[in-house]
Amino acid sequence: MTDSQTDRSSRTASETAPLLRIEDLWKSYGDEEVLRGVSLDIERGDVEVLVGPSGSGKSTLLRCVNRLTEVDSGHIYLGDVDICAADTDPNDIRQQIGMVFQDINLFAHLTARKNVMLGLRRVKGMDREAARERANEELDRVGLGDQVDSYPAQLSGGQKQRVGIARALAMDPEVMLFDEPTSALDPELSSGVLEVMAQLVEEGMTMLVVTHEMRFARGGATGITFLDDGQIVERGPPEQLFENPEEERTAQFFQSISHE
Amino acid sequence: MSGAETTESPTGRFRTTSAEPGPVLAVLAGVAFWGWLVTRWLNDWVLARIGVGPGAGENFVPRGPFDAAAASVADVSAGLGVVGLPIEWTATVLSTVAIAIDLAPALAGAAWYTIVLTSVSIILGFFIAVPLAVLRVYGGPLKWLALAYTELIRGTPLLAQLFVLYYGLPLAIWLQDAPLVGYGSIPEQAFWIAIIGFTINGSAYQAEYIRGALESVDEGQLTAARAVGLSQYDGIRYVVLPQTLRYAIPAWTNEVVYLIKYSSLAAFITVPELYYVASDIAAQTFEYTAIFGLLAVVYLGIVLTATKLMDRVESRVAVPGIGRAEGRKQGDA
Repeated sequence: MTDSQTDRSSRTASETAPLLRIEDLWKSYGDEEVLRGVSLDIERGDVEVLVGPSGSGKSTLLRCVNRLTEVDSGHIYLGDVDICAADTDPNDIRQQIGMVFQDINLFAHLTARKNVMLGLRRVKGMDREAARERANEELDRVGLGDQVDSYPAQLSGGQKQRVGIARALAMDPEVMLFDEPTSALDPELSSGVLEVMAQLVEEGMTMLVVTHEMRFARGGATGITFLDDGQIVERGPPEQLFENPEEERTAQFFQSISHE
Repeated sequence: MSGAETTESPTGRFRTTSAEPGPVLAVLAGVAFWGWLVTRWLNDWVLARIGVGPGAGENFVPRGPFDAAAASVADVSAGLGVVGLPIEWTATVLSTVAIAIDLAPALAGAAWYTIVLTSVSIILGFFIAVPLAVLRVYGGPLKWLALAYTELIRGTPLLAQLFVLYYGLPLAIWLQDAPLVGYGSIPEQAFWIAIIGFTINGSAYQAEYIRGALESVDEGQLTAARAVGLSQYDGIRYVVLPQTLRYAIPAWTNEVVYLIKYSSLAAFITVPELYYVASDIAAQTFEYTAIFGLLAVVYLGIVLTATKLMDRVESRVAVPGIGRAEGRKQGDA
């Protein structure tokens, strides 16, 4: 009880508080504990890459951040709003937190432009013309200005994922979550997606990225968090985790994925 | 539409060359069928009132010549023995035409009931079926309510449902007292009860078809909608349902076809639709074979038209990757 009271007082206290603050997150599915006390601070402009073996809880952590999954206990603050609080409207949170999925999930019945427009129209309440213009801009930004009228089935995997990014960006999110955005793509198709992500890093977007793309992690990340078995094993700047990890398990993990 | 780009495929070419006389004949048959129905309705309800044309319910063509022809052909065949058999069949055809001429006005009027009964019930049922199906899949505890409704309706005979509505409930009495019911060209209460019955019955079946389609939409679609900030309701409405309904069209067509024929059960609560009128006339004339044969032709005309219409709708709303366009694409590969 006292813990949560200090949380409440501290969250309004300072302006230098991190943009996204994850505190002691626990989540289990049945008997299986997926997250076991994860805490993580993300400053504005940070690009945090989450790595770890499959089943380590990376994706669950992301899904908790925009409340696609409800946590068992713990808190996630976006600015000074407790995302997990019962009286927080998840739809408000999700506008501020963009999400890009491994299996992309473009709305299959809508063109690229309408995929981007849907949230603008139905969530932000923009009129058709304004939404259309904004969608065109966002698709231009990800290099698909010439594909606005294509349906998902007519786009390559990489193009689809870029539409997925544009769809999330159009909502003007504070934070972007990427859940293995290139894992479902052929290697040659993922470069376009990685370029767009690198461009976002340039622009100073705050990003939380689950990926096995170590090129991206080396080039763009401000920090890397290694998760295993629902816990953070080690966290630090990319050089440290790649070159000089403190934990044996971290070293083993990076060794194993470098063989892939 | 996107389907057009597949015309160069081997299957496409095969279809266009081999099927050419088919569509032409189908169009001709369709024009003849609907031309007759619409002319008949126009004549009976509009022209006859202002004194134009042969009058309401009167034959367009006299049957006398066909009867005479049938009789003389039969005479000829009678003298020829076994050799005359084909000629005798011609006589049968001629007398069937004569019966058809007599029957046509009544069938056209009855077809109107069948068509209105079916289409209104399907449309009303659809608006019940969609929320019902959504409830079945996303309704949480309300799931059971939707399930109970569906199983109750699907698990009991349609005829029994109609009897309960017509004889069991005081519905018919209320409707009888309702303003306008049964006056002028507005049908009697039995018709309205049939619509209620078919709507309820059809809604349960349609809900099952839609539920199946609903479950075939990837759940990532709704997740993505929610991740953008759409509420569950909006996500279902703008993302899941538009895909669902496209998937559901083939099965839905099936339900339309069924209901067209099942609407004949309305005869048992005295609605003067196709079956009622046909069996009534057959009972008076004893021309069962000819009359029910002709009845079948009228049903067939309505059913084929409905199928064709649904086909149109399906390709109209097809989107690359969903429904028809997807099938064609796979066929080309």
